[in-house]
Amino acid sequence: MLAEKHAERIEKIFAKYPDKRSGVMALLYLAQEEYGWLSEEVLREVAELCDIDPTQVRSIAGFYTMYSEKPKGKFWLQVCTDLPCALRGADEFFSGLCAYLGLGERGGTTEDGLFTVEPVMCLAACDKAPMLQCNFHYHENLDLEKVKMLVEQWRAEAGQGDGAVG
Amino acid sequence: MTETITIIIDGQDYQVPRGMNLVDAAKMHGVDIPVFCHHPKLEPVGMCRMCLVELGSLAVNRETGQPERDENGQPVVRWFPKLQTACTQEASPGMAVRTDSAAVAQARYNVLEFLLTSHPLDCPICDKGGECPLQELTMAYGPGQSRFIYDDKMHLAKQIPLGDLICLDRERCIQCARCIRFCDEIVGDEVLAFHERGRRLQIITISDPPFDTKFSGNTTDICPVGALTTVDFRFGARPWELDEVASICPHCPVGCNISASTRLDRDFGGRKMIKRIMPRQNEAVNEIWICDKGRFGHHHSRSEERLTQPMIRRDEEWVPITWETAYREIAAQLARHGRESGFLAGASLSNEDLWELRKLARLTHADCSLGVWPATMGGIEQVTQVGVGVGTRLQDLGPDSAILVIASDLDEEAPIWWLQVKQAADRGAKVVAANGRATKLDQYATVALRYPYGEAVAALNSFAVIARRSNAIDEAFVAARAEGFAEFDASLKGARVPKPYAEAAQALLGAKDLVVFVGGEGVTLAQHGELMQAAANLLILTGHAGRANNGLIPVWPGANMQGALDMGFGPQATHDLIAQRPAMWIIAEADPVAEDARMAEVLVGAEFVALATQFMTPTAEKAHVLLPVQSFAEREGTFTNGLRRVQRFYMAQTPLEGTLPAWKVFAHISSSMPGGAKPRIAPGLVMRDITQHVLRYAEMSYPNLAHVEPQFPLVGGEDMYYGGTAYSNHGGLGVQWATNAEKEKYSLAVRPVDVARPRLDGLAVVPVRLLYDREPLFAPSSIMHQRVPAPYVELNVRDAEALGIAEGDAVMLTADDVQMAAEARVNSHAPAGTVLVPQRLGATPIPATLVECVVQKMEG
Repeated sequence: MLAEKHAERIEKIFAKYPDKRSGVMALLYLAQEEYGWLSEEVLREVAELCDIDPTQVRSIAGFYTMYSEKPKGKFWLQVCTDLPCALRGADEFFSGLCAYLGLGERGGTTEDGLFTVEPVMCLAACDKAPMLQCNFHYHENLDLEKVKMLVEQWRAEAGQGDGAVG
Repeated sequence: MTETITIIIDGQDYQVPRGMNLVDAAKMHGVDIPVFCHHPKLEPVGMCRMCLVELGSLAVNRETGQPERDENGQPVVRWFPKLQTACTQEASPGMAVRTDSAAVAQARYNVLEFLLTSHPLDCPICDKGGECPLQELTMAYGPGQSRFIYDDKMHLAKQIPLGDLICLDRERCIQCARCIRFCDEIVGDEVLAFHERGRRLQIITISDPPFDTKFSGNTTDICPVGALTTVDFRFGARPWELDEVASICPHCPVGCNISASTRLDRDFGGRKMIKRIMPRQNEAVNEIWICDKGRFGHHHSRSEERLTQPMIRRDEEWVPITWETAYREIAAQLARHGRESGFLAGASLSNEDLWELRKLARLTHADCSLGVWPATMGGIEQVTQVGVGVGTRLQDLGPDSAILVIASDLDEEAPIWWLQVKQAADRGAKVVAANGRATKLDQYATVALRYPYGEAVAALNSFAVIARRSNAIDEAFVAARAEGFAEFDASLKGARVPKPYAEAAQALLGAKDLVVFVGGEGVTLAQHGELMQAAANLLILTGHAGRANNGLIPVWPGANMQGALDMGFGPQATHDLIAQRPAMWIIAEADPVAEDARMAEVLVGAEFVALATQFMTPTAEKAHVLLPVQSFAEREGTFTNGLRRVQRFYMAQTPLEGTLPAWKVFAHISSSMPGGAKPRIAPGLVMRDITQHVLRYAEMSYPNLAHVEPQFPLVGGEDMYYGGTAYSNHGGLGVQWATNAEKEKYSLAVRPVDVARPRLDGLAVVPVRLLYDREPLFAPSSIMHQRVPAPYVELNVRDAEALGIAEGDAVMLTADDVQMAAEARVNSHAPAGTVLVPQRLGATPIPATLVECVVQKMEG
């Protein structure tokens, strides 16, 4: 449970706002960090902490793309495929990455649960495309070879078991 | 008063209130600006873009400060380069609007094409088809064809239950958020919300329980498409087949104006049947809302359980008899028992029923007692003096107003009043919610005052003490109108007031308007008269009487308790009757045996009991003659609501064969008596008699009651896109009778009240009222059964611990001669030392108010 495990951080979050309701987004990040994704059960837990209706919490989680209401791989790779990135080869980069990980052309999660790949809208790094964001950290000026190295590196990290990512 | 300004709409000058929403301002003058998301009762959001207009302002010469004029002398308007949403604009001086230009027409066309890109167009099977704003506005402004590729339409779930009463069709939803905003802004239950965004945007709820507000049905009225439908009416009929009949809700003292949508129906043997209940606009009563009990509680009117045959008990068997025999039998019994007869009237009888019952009683003997049931609340004298003023509209209460709600859980007893008080609080009214326990109003109240049960009178009396101490007495009003002030004033002098009472009183003082709702929770009948007087004292003392939006509102049980009191029935008479135990009883539309443990024995001891009833109730089982009477839906009549507004209802449904309206039954019995006149042939003539004999009803002739005036916002018909599918009022707005405070010739009595509280040792029973119970008029609505809890009692954690009772335990409650089995709920909601017992959940009567009781855990 968040309340027990992260009591101190939760307290800090609430301290920033005039009422508990306002802490909902920060708590959703904390919850996602803890559980990997936001299940309905987790949404209810956050709702109880903020003292608001669970429907409101789910509405917020649904609006922002950085919250995920589906299980994600340990490494959540978001590739920008908007027009400027596409002009620099983001489409080929994206399909190459998917093929390398054995995923279909629209991305998805690998069977071992390590990687989730998905195309996203603009990440504001058009000049450094192709690029991706792994668990919200940027990796820019990529090509297929570079990303394969990164993937192997992340695999190795995961193999070591501590799961430090980014 | 809001300032009136001039704006230009389509080249014409219009006078509108400054700051009024532009869509509303235009609508007021008959200019339609089409909308989907905007609703006159909700805050604007500007989401649907349907109301795009050209907007500009009058050009002003900077040197002279005068409006510029062109060569023709017309004012010059500087137009914004792009279209603006009218619903997010407030009318301001010099504003110019064009709603009839080509650009505006194109915008409407485009918005509709966009909304229809993924609309399923299943109008032929849609409940809303025929009264659908999307349909109507598309016909008026939209494209005849779609350029969108049919195969790209979104396919979404079409039957999602949002709670057990409302069904969501995601394909039809156009994301206007009216339902969400209704829940958030008006009800205050944030159980609906949007999920995702863009094209994937949809309505969700994961609340627990989901969407169970008492007002959920209203979202289907303001939904501009067929996305929200009620389980009750789903696939029930097409709107154009329905005949609308004006009616009044028979369930509570608010007296919501309703419209019964009826048609000749196969399910009812080809007879005229109510298919749904819809709100009917009365801005002084329910505005355009009704609660779910009113909307879904009409099934009793054609229940299989209804009695349809007069019967007499012979050798413990019910034997059918003709009406004639029944009349003669009862007339003979009345002649035999004479003065030894008691009359008891329920709170759902119409004024006409009550009048004929009273006439019958008077014909029997001049001294026959006229009791009401339930006999828990008194205080008609105080209502007569300082009842809320004529013309009161609770929706007008705002920042200058103060509202006191005492001894009532409005949310459960009169939901639409709760809604209006809550909204007044939102607008800045000072609200004091005073009760022995926490209620739902507390979270919106300025002060939530807790007093120990039994101390309500003392609490309210202390408000007068504080008013006196704070120099909040309206000297001029008191000098001119109050009677008995010196004695009363002396009683207040030096009285000690606990701090919480003083704080609550302070919150109310100094407001321009003051309305006091007085309920009967945790108050004995004797105390209730004192509580009403304490309220009257406060209102007179502070000069809050005799004008609109000021005065007393009693939260009576039942739809027509006010009418019963007006017709001369009273609660004290009921208690006298129970004490006297007359040999003969005539009881009408009341079920005292189910509600009072003494009554079974009293009626068994009587020689003859005649009961006019719709159902075989526990009281019916003790009667000797049963008279099957008609429900509100099957006949005409009037009810008087808690604001003393007399309102007409009309015949909506073909009466069940064999039943008669109660007034006619009583009139026929009268005509079988010596000296009895021929029965009137219509309720309108009965009302004419009433107008001639009951002074306060002198103005209440049927034509007067049927009078209507234009109301704003416009709803229904051509305006359903704007105000929703609530019906506009063609049946009559009703008439309020004026209180003594409104007539200069009357003085208003103030007097010291008896603040003594009953001595209670141990646990005390406090009966509470729930909206969803098992009373005979509601029990047949099976779609509501999930909301009616099994019998329970609420205990405080401390008391429960001492008794070794845990949440969910089966317990036996014993008080006086009552024994009732129930489930225990253990919480901090019940104050220590009390057991909250909801009325009418089980078959056995619950104890009378504020008596000591024993609660034991049942073994096994």
